[in-house]
Amino acid sequence: MADVTILRRNRPGTKSEDFCKWPEEPFEEMDSTLAVQQFIQQTIRKDPTNIDEILTPPEGQDEGVWKYEHLRQFCLELNGIAVKLQQGECQPETCTQMTATEQWIFLCAAHKTPKECPAIDYTRHTLDGAACLLNSNKYFPSRVSIKESSVAKLGSVCRRVYRIFSHAYFHHRTLFDEFENETALCKRFTAFVTKYNLMSKDNLIVPILDEQDGIQAIESEA
Amino acid sequence: MVEEGPAGNTQISNGPNSQAGPSITGFGVKGVDDQVPRTLPYSIPGILHFIQHEWARFEMERSQWEVEKAELQARIAFLQGERQGQENLKRDLVRRIKMLEYALKQERARFHKLKYGADMLPDNKELEEAEDLNGDNYLTGVENHSWKQGRQLLRQYLQEIGYTDTIIDVRSARVRQLLGLSPNNNDLGKELATLPAVNGDQTTKRVSDGQGRRVQAKKHPATLGEGALLESEAAVIDTFSFLSTENDLEVEDDEENEADLIDETLADELDRIDVKKPKPKGMTRSNEGMARMDDVLANETEEALSQFDFLGSDGADGAGEARTQGDGTEWEKSELAAAPPPGDNDWNVDEQMLSRLKQEYSKDSKHSRNMQRPKRSTLQAMLASLGGNDDIGLPSVTAPCAGPAPAAAAAAAATASDSLSNSLPADDTAVDEAAGPNDANIPFPAGPRRPLPAEEGFEPGFGLGELAGLTIQNDCELSYDLSSSKDALRKTWNAKYTLRSHFDGIRALVFHPVDPVLITASEDHTLKLWNLDKTVPAKKTASLDVEPVYTFRGHTGAVLSLAMSVSGEECFSGGIDSSIRCWKIPSSNVDPYDMYDPSVLAATLTGHTGAVWGLSVHSSNNRLLSCASDGTVRLWQPYTKEPLLKTFTSENGLIPTSIDFVRSDPIQMVAAYSDCDAVIYDLETSQPVIHLESKDLSEPGVLSTIHQVVSHPTLPITVTAHEDRHIRFFDNNTGKMVHTMVAHLDAVTSLAIDPNGLYLLSGSHDCSIRLWNLDSKTCVQEITSHRKKFDESIYDVAFHPSRPYIASAGADALAKVFV
Repeated sequence: MADVTILRRNRPGTKSEDFCKWPEEPFEEMDSTLAVQQFIQQTIRKDPTNIDEILTPPEGQDEGVWKYEHLRQFCLELNGIAVKLQQGECQPETCTQMTATEQWIFLCAAHKTPKECPAIDYTRHTLDGAACLLNSNKYFPSRVSIKESSVAKLGSVCRRVYRIFSHAYFHHRTLFDEFENETALCKRFTAFVTKYNLMSKDNLIVPILDEQDGIQAIESEA
Repeated sequence: MVEEGPAGNTQISNGPNSQAGPSITGFGVKGVDDQVPRTLPYSIPGILHFIQHEWARFEMERSQWEVEKAELQARIAFLQGERQGQENLKRDLVRRIKMLEYALKQERARFHKLKYGADMLPDNKELEEAEDLNGDNYLTGVENHSWKQGRQLLRQYLQEIGYTDTIIDVRSARVRQLLGLSPNNNDLGKELATLPAVNGDQTTKRVSDGQGRRVQAKKHPATLGEGALLESEAAVIDTFSFLSTENDLEVEDDEENEADLIDETLADELDRIDVKKPKPKGMTRSNEGMARMDDVLANETEEALSQFDFLGSDGADGAGEARTQGDGTEWEKSELAAAPPPGDNDWNVDEQMLSRLKQEYSKDSKHSRNMQRPKRSTLQAMLASLGGNDDIGLPSVTAPCAGPAPAAAAAAAATASDSLSNSLPADDTAVDEAAGPNDANIPFPAGPRRPLPAEEGFEPGFGLGELAGLTIQNDCELSYDLSSSKDALRKTWNAKYTLRSHFDGIRALVFHPVDPVLITASEDHTLKLWNLDKTVPAKKTASLDVEPVYTFRGHTGAVLSLAMSVSGEECFSGGIDSSIRCWKIPSSNVDPYDMYDPSVLAATLTGHTGAVWGLSVHSSNNRLLSCASDGTVRLWQPYTKEPLLKTFTSENGLIPTSIDFVRSDPIQMVAAYSDCDAVIYDLETSQPVIHLESKDLSEPGVLSTIHQVVSHPTLPITVTAHEDRHIRFFDNNTGKMVHTMVAHLDAVTSLAIDPNGLYLLSGSHDCSIRLWNLDSKTCVQEITSHRKKFDESIYDVAFHPSRPYIASAGADALAKVFV
């Protein structure tokens, strides 16, 4: 059985380096309702820095679902930076407000009346809120087709989670760089929202695309 | 007592002296004569002994009291729960009676139509009522639909509000079971007579319901005469728990609907309700009145029972039917109103004692107290406002008793009205007024039907008497008979909660040991805490959505394994990042958007150098076992300086896939290895005890990795879930396989055994979970519950340790809970 067909499974006992190490499955052969997520994760695993390929949808892919699944994946991976922040230097005592530059204080929208949460709470609440919204049976009952009205919600989620990047960049730069080197997540996110016009350029305050060459240089050295 | 004490005490303290020798005794006796007041009573050892003696006595008495108190509290809890169950049952039955009445009305309307052509003058009023009763839905239905269709509709309606077929069936079966008790009527009657003393104000509320009363009669000997009727008690408790579990789920829905319906019911309907109330209440009274007549038992109780029979069969007649719910509460309230006064007057002692006990109990469960309080007060108010209608019922119902024992009945009526008059001065006059209808009733034949004259007065020519003779109910009854016996035995699990909030596959889930709370661990790096009591108000769908109350962040990378401590206060998770994290579980009522509390992550156990795939917590000493892809199994004592106690490594360099403590032997653990081998280790000596080999049993060339190994909670049996679709059972003592079965269409990934060790739950990559009877090894139910991601579908399944929940977690980032 196992010889004939490839079973893409992480069986118990799988070593972490072998996790999801299976032959790529072409998108056409993915018959699951989670095909888009599978495809995105598969491309990311192949090379997280190849943003163009990651953001290139397969032919005939519904754009709403494509954007939705990508945003899910961003929020998933943002858990990584949240863990780094909460274990590191971003404590409620040190970062009492969610700020990036001095220009704005961001209020946490997770509460009935928006609140001035400390940065780490803002991060957690925003990710939790995004998880609830993106999994809401009301707005996103299906992962195969998505209503146009729900697609409109994606923009605000993007705007909020982007603040996590900007806070990390402006206040915890070493941590940010470390994370960015591993995942290129902020760069991918910036490219994503730019490509699908989910955020206005003015809000993209992390100068990541300009530094693109610099980062690539660091990576090639490593 | 204290004065006597020293005397008795000195005797005891003298005991040793007297043994010492006759000379001393002789001396002592002299001393006693001379110096009684000074030395003897107050010797130091004597006093000490006395104090000790008294203390021991007090302690003993105190513990006796405590035992007694606990018993009484348990009984109160039992009775309260029982009451709830019975109230629910009653409400259901009342609804059905109502429904039947409606059906009958339609039938009669049709009958008139057929008999007198289009001339329907005498029935117009009834038809209107029927229309009002059923609201807009039935306006057209009256002409077009037969009663059968109407019933079908109501049945659907019942199902919508949560009465599934099974429940309706089971209940109707119960009703019949209760009605089948007729041979015992005499005994029951006697018990009935003593009942009010026992029940006090609590149970009288439900007295009017035939079933309720019968169940009471059946239960009380069991709870009172301890050990007398253990069997029946067990049966009663069974049914009780069955009822109460349903109540939890359904009562709320019902009440909501009722509230809505009450608004809709029209004035006509309300009038009718008022008229009907006297019926049950009156019976209650007459019965209690009789209870007090010590010498006139047999005849009246039989009579009363026949009334209850009537009521009961009435309910049973409507088994498949339903009433509009509006009057259910009304009726109940009137009964409640009726209940307290007799309790206060006639059963003074019991009432006081019970209320005292109840206060004690309320400290433990204020909630139920709160439920009762407001009701009671509103009831008094209602009683006052009900006025004449209520009182008519009193004598009209006692009337039937007048036949066999007029004097007794009169006395009963008198005492009943006395008891009422204490709380309601107006009653005295009401009794006089009631004399009219009372007299009018006497000519009516057939005892059981007599309680209804008041109603007949309002609806001439249409009484329940005819309803009782009706045959329409039987066809549905029969069908219930057939299905109920089967359904009563077998519970079917249905998806009730969907847990969405993870972004990627959920690798593991565990339930809280007591609360309806669970934790999931996902490949999206997080764990989430879910409270099943906090559901999202959603559209009317079969399954409820739950939002997580807390998200645990700490792992870098996928979380693969999860275990809950016995206390339910902490949990442990193992991740692909090789770490094991110990979490203090926040309250399940925490605000999801509360402040960050770093103490939730209580500790991190490091030592493994590979992904942690399995965790298990010891049931008594909170030790933790973990297995990881670095080839080791480790035993931990969390929260200590050196948490790592032992490391087990397989001789062959195999990788462990799953571990569990052997539940039947607390010093053993079982580990499954990647080559399809499972080994039981002695935790003290760290040596393998026995190999559970299934390597040779699988077909050559087929990968038969063990996905999970679980130990039976009580027996020395180990169960393994294999990639090759098999579930295998091993005897821990011999190491031999005792059973093997192809359990799924694809790899079996997860197993869970219910806390009692009767059922096995398995999950598979074939997208389904299956429930197995461990005794017969047969599949009881299959549920398709998750979708595939790549070639994986279900990662974990679980039983709640103390509540009827099962859950599955899948690669589709969802977890589902079934009830």
